Amino acid sequence: MVDARTLLAAALGLLLGAVCLVAPGAVVRVQTAGRRPTGRDGKYGTDAVPNRWRRLVQVVGVGLVVAGAYFGYLALG
Amino acid sequence: MRHLGLKARMAVVGSILFAFYAVAAVVVMAVFDWPLALVLIGSVAFVGVQYKLGKWMALRSVGAEDLPEERAPDLHRRVESLSRDMGIDKPRLMIASMGVPNAFAVGRKGAGTVVVSQELLRTLDDAEVEGVLAHELAHIRNRDVVMMVLGQGVASIVAIVAQWAVLLTGDNDIADFFLAIVVGQLTQMLVMLFVFAISRYREYVADGDAADAIGTGEPLARALEKISRGAERRESTVDDQAAALCIFGDRGGLASLLSTHPPVEKRIERLRG
Repeated sequence: MVDARTLLAAALGLLLGAVCLVAPGAVVRVQTAGRRPTGRDGKYGTDAVPNRWRRLVQVVGVGLVVAGAYFGYLALG
Repeated sequence: MRHLGLKARMAVVGSILFAFYAVAAVVVMAVFDWPLALVLIGSVAFVGVQYKLGKWMALRSVGAEDLPEERAPDLHRRVESLSRDMGIDKPRLMIASMGVPNAFAVGRKGAGTVVVSQELLRTLDDAEVEGVLAHELAHIRNRDVVMMVLGQGVASIVAIVAQWAVLLTGDNDIADFFLAIVVGQLTQMLVMLFVFAISRYREYVADGDAADAIGTGEPLARALEKISRGAERRESTVDDQAAALCIFGDRGGLASLLSTHPPVEKRIERLRG
């Protein structure tokens, strides 16, 4: 029988992983808004995120996609 | 009535945030058997700590130092005059070496701090610096920093409660831990969509207030233009490799919905409009 929670973990993990890969800056902004000043990468008046942070979130995104695929395999395999 | 559009938007977004918070509070009361007073005290303490910690971290992260009046008497005079015109107490003025032109405001009306970078003062002329200062003072007057901290606080509380709800209703296996973390992050994103929507509008309001305070929006528009041109030049030489790593880029769609600031081009257009 398919475990609904494991399947949900797979689906939402893949979704969050995709967001991290496609819009890493948005993920950083969600975590840092109201906690760190914006414009740190030289764009005063914007909320641009430094590239090394974006890359770090994309690495996390890859991890989430792998974990999501693993849980998908467990639920359906 | 001042800022009617902002007040109407705040009423809508405030109601949505309250609804998220109310659901989280009811879950905590039901699951942990906490009385309402304890939930409220806990929430206020959580947001209070975030506010204090956020201010300290923001100043510390850039190594901000007090800017003594004798070191920059002109800058102090301008901030004092703008503060008087805008009806707020003169904020603490600090300086930092951030490696890039930047300025930001932290704190609240009556206890605000404005930080400017040395690079900003070197890049912009006096009128442009005044435009930037007026924009940051408008953020303090309009309590934008407090609102962002409050929004982030509500989003964090709702996310933590969602995370615990998943953990407590599961079997505590590895899939449940993973699901709890993911649900927490997605919930926070969902709440922050509303916080960011109001934040983008607040940027336009702060621009408008800055233009009113100095009589024209042109200096701030020029400052934004100058800094964004400088950043583009740096990016085109340094970040080609990094851009290649971005699969779909970080502009448009979800990324623009999860932005605290509107596009610079639109701000410049409005300032000159």
